[in-house]
Amino acid sequence: MPSHPKTLTNRRNAQRSTGPTSTEGKLASSQNSRKHGLNIEIDLESSCAYVSLKSLLIKEGYSSFVAADIAACLLNYRRVMDAYYEAYFRSIPVNESIWNMDLEGLPLVLGEISKGTAADSSSIARLFGRLQRNERRQGGPVSRRTLSCHKLIRYQRHAISRLSKVIRFA
Amino acid sequence: MKDSVKSIATLLPSPRLLPNESEADFQSSLQGLLSEFETPSPLNVALVIQLNECLWWIKRHTVDKELLLHDSMAGILTRSAEFPQSYDNRRVSMALEGFLSGNAGEEDEQWIEELLKRAELTVSDLRARGFKGAYKHIKMADDLIHRQYQTMRHLQKSIDSVDFKSRLIKRMDLELAVLENNALAIDAKSP
Repeated sequence: MPSHPKTLTNRRNAQRSTGPTSTEGKLASSQNSRKHGLNIEIDLESSCAYVSLKSLLIKEGYSSFVAADIAACLLNYRRVMDAYYEAYFRSIPVNESIWNMDLEGLPLVLGEISKGTAADSSSIARLFGRLQRNERRQGGPVSRRTLSCHKLIRYQRHAISRLSKVIRFA
Repeated sequence: MKDSVKSIATLLPSPRLLPNESEADFQSSLQGLLSEFETPSPLNVALVIQLNECLWWIKRHTVDKELLLHDSMAGILTRSAEFPQSYDNRRVSMALEGFLSGNAGEEDEQWIEELLKRAELTVSDLRARGFKGAYKHIKMADDLIHRQYQTMRHLQKSIDSVDFKSRLIKRMDLELAVLENNALAIDAKSP
């Protein structure tokens, strides 16, 4: 049994905030940690593009089963490449204010503003220091977009090998 | 050929270009690839479009690779000059870009030479150090380029396979027609 008053207070507060309750809220919060959406199961077979592509391939002489496979794999490959483009084009922007922040003079400025203790100011300065290190570690815009695209390599590999297999062994 | 391109373009989402890229250049490169085929099937057209996109990604990542190196080189010069480090070392970066391509103004050229002197580095030293600094990201860019080449290889094999199948079907049709003709000829000869 927790006996520490702080632990008890934390548990009591946690009971009060249990996340969204409405359907809309749950739907919105389910997208909170979404990065590229490639792990989500999507129903390609009900899309118009799939149906049209499949019938076009059937006209080309492929059996219905093979045409369905090729259409699904092609659309899946396009989905991955669109996510790849998004990762490249909309990578996390550089936060210039944090990157260029002058940390040496920060404790003094904070001390003047907050009128708190020196320990408070230095702990806030340390926090900003950590933020700045994180920001700089990620590099400039080119490094960031390279890193974002690099995370999608395995999805591209998987999508193209499926497509190629379906076509070659059709 | 244009009909196949149109029909597949309406069905498949087409590759997206960056704002500074030209749609006309993309299309002309695509037409160049498609001209290799006599009568490409819609599936071949779809695969060639993906192949063309891979070529564009290779171009983009190659440019990025050079940018990563320049960024890193500019960072080294900025630090040696004890300037406050700005996020992309913009001023040094621009001057260095001009200096390396030989288009720098006299002032920028002198400034970069001064920075190099202060850092006690030659251009090739700076390049080597810059490479060392940006090694992790340059390797990632290399991986991305390599991935596009692998994808192109897969697409090429698929295109060959589609092409071979259609030629095989044509050949079988012709052989069937010959057999039918022969059978008719035998029928005609028989009393």
